[in-house]
Amino acid sequence: MGKTGNRDSEGLNLSVSPEQVARFHPLMQEGFMVRAEVGCTIKTLLCDQFKVSPEYLETRVQTVFLNGKPVDDLESAEIPAGATLALSAAMPGLVGATLRRGGYYARMRSDITYRKEEAPGARGEGMVRIKLFNLLGPELAPTFLAKGVWLSSSRLREFLSQLPEEFWTQCQAIHLDGTTITATALRRVIWPDDSEPVRLSVTVGE
Amino acid sequence: MDKILRIDMGAEGGPKVTTAPPGEYAGLGGRALTSAVVSKEVPPLCHPLGANNKLVIAPGLLSGTAAAMSGRLSVGCKSPLTGGIKEANAGGQAAQVLARLGYAAIILEGKPPADGLYKVLINKDGVKVIPDNSLCMLGNYDLVEKMKTEYGDKITCMSIGPAGEMKLPNSSVAITDMELRPTRHAGRGGVGAVMGAKGVKVIVLDDTGMKMRQPKDPEKFKDANKRFVDGLRKHPVTGEGLPAYGTNVLTNIINEAGAYPTKNFMWGRFDTCHKISGETQAETETARGGLATHGCHRGCVIRCSGTYMNKDGHYLTKQPEYETVWAFGGDCGIDDLDAIAMLDRLCDDYGLDTIEMGVTIAVAMDAGLAKFGDAEAAINLVKEVGKGTPLGRVLGSGAAIAGKVFGVERVPVVKNQALPAYDPRGVQGIGVTYATTPMGADHTAGYAITANILKVGGFVDPLKPQGQIELSRNLQIATAAIDSTGMCLFIAFALLDQPDTFQALLDIINAFYGLALTGDGVTDLGKTVLKMERDFNARAGFTKAQDRLPEFFTKESLQPHNITFMVKDEELDSLFNW
Repeated sequence: MGKTGNRDSEGLNLSVSPEQVARFHPLMQEGFMVRAEVGCTIKTLLCDQFKVSPEYLETRVQTVFLNGKPVDDLESAEIPAGATLALSAAMPGLVGATLRRGGYYARMRSDITYRKEEAPGARGEGMVRIKLFNLLGPELAPTFLAKGVWLSSSRLREFLSQLPEEFWTQCQAIHLDGTTITATALRRVIWPDDSEPVRLSVTVGE
Repeated sequence: MDKILRIDMGAEGGPKVTTAPPGEYAGLGGRALTSAVVSKEVPPLCHPLGANNKLVIAPGLLSGTAAAMSGRLSVGCKSPLTGGIKEANAGGQAAQVLARLGYAAIILEGKPPADGLYKVLINKDGVKVIPDNSLCMLGNYDLVEKMKTEYGDKITCMSIGPAGEMKLPNSSVAITDMELRPTRHAGRGGVGAVMGAKGVKVIVLDDTGMKMRQPKDPEKFKDANKRFVDGLRKHPVTGEGLPAYGTNVLTNIINEAGAYPTKNFMWGRFDTCHKISGETQAETETARGGLATHGCHRGCVIRCSGTYMNKDGHYLTKQPEYETVWAFGGDCGIDDLDAIAMLDRLCDDYGLDTIEMGVTIAVAMDAGLAKFGDAEAAINLVKEVGKGTPLGRVLGSGAAIAGKVFGVERVPVVKNQALPAYDPRGVQGIGVTYATTPMGADHTAGYAITANILKVGGFVDPLKPQGQIELSRNLQIATAAIDSTGMCLFIAFALLDQPDTFQALLDIINAFYGLALTGDGVTDLGKTVLKMERDFNARAGFTKAQDRLPEFFTKESLQPHNITFMVKDEELDSLFNW
């Protein structure tokens, strides 16, 4: 079974209707791993590698955390391998305004603001953890799910077990490592242990 | 709103009702009015539960009009919790109804000579104060049902639960919402205890036969209101984020920032916060047949509230707010939304502030009364408060007293009021507001992020080292002004980004009153309110020693950022130098 490989056919692929994508939204806020070229800026990662439009990034993605630190400049902050990148729309409250990137009230959280490391991170392939909060979850879920996200096998197992029977009857196709299988067969799959993440991709049909 | 209603509960022969023009209070509303009355008429050294304290209930300047978002109600007094001046405000229907009945304020004065409860009925025909001991120790939900049976379903209620009757320092005044449920609370500072001390269980309002307040310039008012509503609807926070997820949308964000106070402020992150986030909450509500988008009063266009159903699909409570979810959630280590919703329901029924109650339970857990994460134990502890057991009365007296009783050093309070859901070590600027606001630790005291548009105190460069003090000062001034209009503070997000929406708000006020108010006028109003409040506290014995965060914030590093609160005392002391 494909684990952390990058081929589109590896891991579990589910073909679903647009209405079923909402079932995957809980994974967006919890976070998932993606395989990407690291050592680049946040903007490069999102726009060049994941095809998020620059306009969307500029106007919609108003709050960004890199390893828990609020980021103000997406064109200078660099993503090292193993980093956690969290994205959110503009948020309410004084603290919501404070955490906005480049916002007027950014000074109020200056002690935790992201500051660029003097030594640039190594470039190359690596895993990055992504969290998509609030409005961005539903909006960006199809993009990331289509490209494939990695989950710990225990989380994937738990997630699949919580999907209702109705989901499986409406699911258009299930592929495991490129082979078509049934929902019943999927339930019998022995997944790798937790140290090896599993790739999940979702194809959205009609 | 051309009159002030005073009810002297201690008058000879029984409660005495008088109605008079606003006089020197004319032109004031909301917090400006409550703080003006308390500052001028309440002896600062009086006992908060004594005859000399007054409970002032005031709608905002625009309440009762067609202006959107104008339904906030201010409740002011000398606080039994802090010992200083207090203004707590709430949504719900009362501000609109009270304003349409023509009252700029209700002032409860004096103290009944004997035990006993009263209900106050206010409608177009006048005011009646009626003894009714059958209401004794009713929860707010049963109380409202009883009032509906007696007076019909066109009423609005302002009431206290058992906590207010017991005069507990953590007791709220409940306001009914559009569905006539007691879900909106003037929560902070123990205002319910002062109402209880006056012997008033419930104020029943009925505006049947009354009309909406009319502006001096209807055309300009209508145009400005339309621009204002359009501005709110097009902004991503007020038009999308808040309606979709409510205020609990903040849980994931504050947690990610490492500023989510967890297990009595020991950590800045709660690992399972996604189980209680706004995203999960909205999904749960919708799946169970509840609402994730709902207004708390007529005329609300943001609709950040909702209804939370239990697992069987029956109404349990309104959508718990971010602060409530945090106080009983992360701060108590509980990641069970159903348990948090039950705790919210109990607090609404008993008449308790959820922030103060949740922080108190967390302090009790820190003392070993229960384990962090034990939801059932938390529910049982809150039920102790409702029953009025000795333990319950300790817990109902707030986090500061509970901390003393149980010997806890880490007690997150300022001026004896519990800190809300943002750790001041992670966001140091908000710590400045917690420390210095006259209200005690209060996130809404510096909430009006319009300060930069108002240019309060001149332009502030937020990148200067001194910026945090200046920003907090300006935020507090702007907040005091908006609290006086009766507008929901959530409008501030759209005002921050859209100057034309701010201008629309000014135009609404000017068209209604025939004024030519500018941003400077709003700023002056905010400064005046804060000066009155600071002056009252100084006369009540407050010094700069009360303008401090608890010591542990400067000693214990917060993870994951490993930082302490670093703003110096002398900087805090400079905040009100304007």
